[in-house]
Amino acid sequence: MSRSQRIAGDVLTSLLSNKQRTFLMMLGVAAGVAVLTAVIAIGQGTRERVMELVQVHNLDMIMVRAGGEVQVFAPQADRGLAALVEPDARAIEEAIPDIGKVSVVQAQRGINLVYGDRSAITRVFGVDPGWAEIRYRPLAQGEFLTEADWASMSRVAILGDKVAKTLFPDGDAVDKVIRVENDPYTVKGVFEEIGQAANGEEDQDDRLVIPFTTSARRLLNRPYVEQIVVNVPDLERIPQVAELIRGLLRVRHAINAGEGDDFFVREPDDVVDAAMQTPATLFALMAAVSVVALIAGGLVIMNLMLISIAQRSREIGLRRAIGARASDISRQFLLESLFVALAGGVVGVAVGLGAAMGLDEAGLVVSRITWLPIAIGFLACMGVGIAFGVQPARKAAHIDPATTLRGRAA
Amino acid sequence: MIEALNLTKSYRRGTMMTDVLKGVSFRVRKGEFVAIMGPSGSGKSTLLNVLGLLDQPDSGSYLIDGIDYARTDDETRSAARSRMIGFVFQQFHLLDRASALRNVTLPLLYSETSRDGTARAERALEAVGLTHRKNYLPSELSGGEQQRVAIARALINDPPLILADEATGNLDAASGAEILQILRTLVDGGRTVVLITHDKEVANHADRVLSFSDGRMTGNEIGLRGGRDAGEGAAARP
Repeated sequence: MSRSQRIAGDVLTSLLSNKQRTFLMMLGVAAGVAVLTAVIAIGQGTRERVMELVQVHNLDMIMVRAGGEVQVFAPQADRGLAALVEPDARAIEEAIPDIGKVSVVQAQRGINLVYGDRSAITRVFGVDPGWAEIRYRPLAQGEFLTEADWASMSRVAILGDKVAKTLFPDGDAVDKVIRVENDPYTVKGVFEEIGQAANGEEDQDDRLVIPFTTSARRLLNRPYVEQIVVNVPDLERIPQVAELIRGLLRVRHAINAGEGDDFFVREPDDVVDAAMQTPATLFALMAAVSVVALIAGGLVIMNLMLISIAQRSREIGLRRAIGARASDISRQFLLESLFVALAGGVVGVAVGLGAAMGLDEAGLVVSRITWLPIAIGFLACMGVGIAFGVQPARKAAHIDPATTLRGRAA
Repeated sequence: MIEALNLTKSYRRGTMMTDVLKGVSFRVRKGEFVAIMGPSGSGKSTLLNVLGLLDQPDSGSYLIDGIDYARTDDETRSAARSRMIGFVFQQFHLLDRASALRNVTLPLLYSETSRDGTARAERALEAVGLTHRKNYLPSELSGGEQQRVAIARALINDPPLILADEATGNLDAASGAEILQILRTLVDGGRTVVLITHDKEVANHADRVLSFSDGRMTGNEIGLRGGRDAGEGAAARP
């Protein structure tokens, strides 16, 4: 064994032979690390929950619909308003900052589908290649439309789950050729089942998605679109972006001041605020608490070590007499502080994760346990152990062995 | 073995400088049992610290085996302490929570090798007659036994020089005599022992007594060898 290993072993032995002191020393750090790991685990859980909400409710999307406010009263019909066109979407893409993908949506009900002796009537959507990403629509089979399909106006289609089940009860729809209003379309993929929306909106599994170019020039033969959907990655920017889009479209549509819009910019609901606001404040507070607890824990270690160094000055003198260098003494106390903090870290991480899981079970928070809280917990306690061990270690190394060993009865 | 030449050392107390060592010169041959005797406050402890390489003299030179350690760094002195010097203190300075055996192995933490540590510690305990007490804590041992553990600790690295600072000062007469007997055995085994004491009775166990007073050597006399074990040839050993 090397000298360092021997010293480390000796430190462990003496910590173990003085369990009560060791326990007291590590308590503070354990508390700090526990709060820290719990906060991170809960923070991660909440973040994931928010991401899920964003995806389910499409909270990061602005939808521009054709027609003014009037549409609110007729949501179920395809209104056929000739207000929005594809160049509007391209102009938004060009001119508006802070946005992600943009897609037009051309929709038409009552489209006939036939495969063999099976048939269905559904609603067709002509979209841009980015649409599936904007609307978070993963595929159960096959792949989504590509730029190439779009560029070549291919007769290809993605089926909603319900349509796929109707036409292909045995599954396996990909690469089959169906008839859409009598034209042959190759099935490229099938969407995952979404399930009936709770708010009674139309069945999102009952649809057919094809390239916008195909729908505009081949199937529906019209240039105008029902919607333009715009992804806005930074939720905070949504109101500004919506306003910019509105301004842009008013100019493009040559609407004079005082006239109403011939379109409607719909912002997502503020569900995220509700889901995120409260925890955000709470996390800031708890993170602050955990930092304070860690610092307090470090101070506890430092002070107990300073006291113990004063009590053990003779031991330090003796160690020097039997051959320890000043640096060996310094290393001994730094290791002691580090080991105590690490022990505190083990206890703290365990308690913190336990608390996060317990609160999750109780339905109070959403926790997610990954390597992150564990890694941060251990890094934090090591940092504390080293930072607050340096001063005691230096003090111990500077103890003059000659003075402490004297101890002679006068 | 050791040679001190004109060692001086002063301490600052507040604004006052106190000269503790005022030019100390003496020589101890290999295998000699020498007592340095002086009253309290004469600077014996400071001298011991310099001799034990725990402290540096302000001036003068201090040679062990021909090497001058008067102005060497902490690492060199620490290595020399580990290899060449065994300390025995008045207060024993054992670790309370460690067994006799672990106390004896403690110097191995800082020595070049810790190989066969337990076996070496057991041999050292055997040399002081404490094999049967190796798993006892210091608090379970008598004063004399604790000092014997301390001697075993001093012996584990097999150093040529033993420095004993009032090694019998905390012991009753019988235990003190035992310790002096052990020190004598070490000398007989070829080691050099320097015993620092204020007690003339104790000093008389050595082969030679150096009188030390007020920071200076004041006399260099052959011991009375009143002790039980003063071997005839000891003083003459090269």
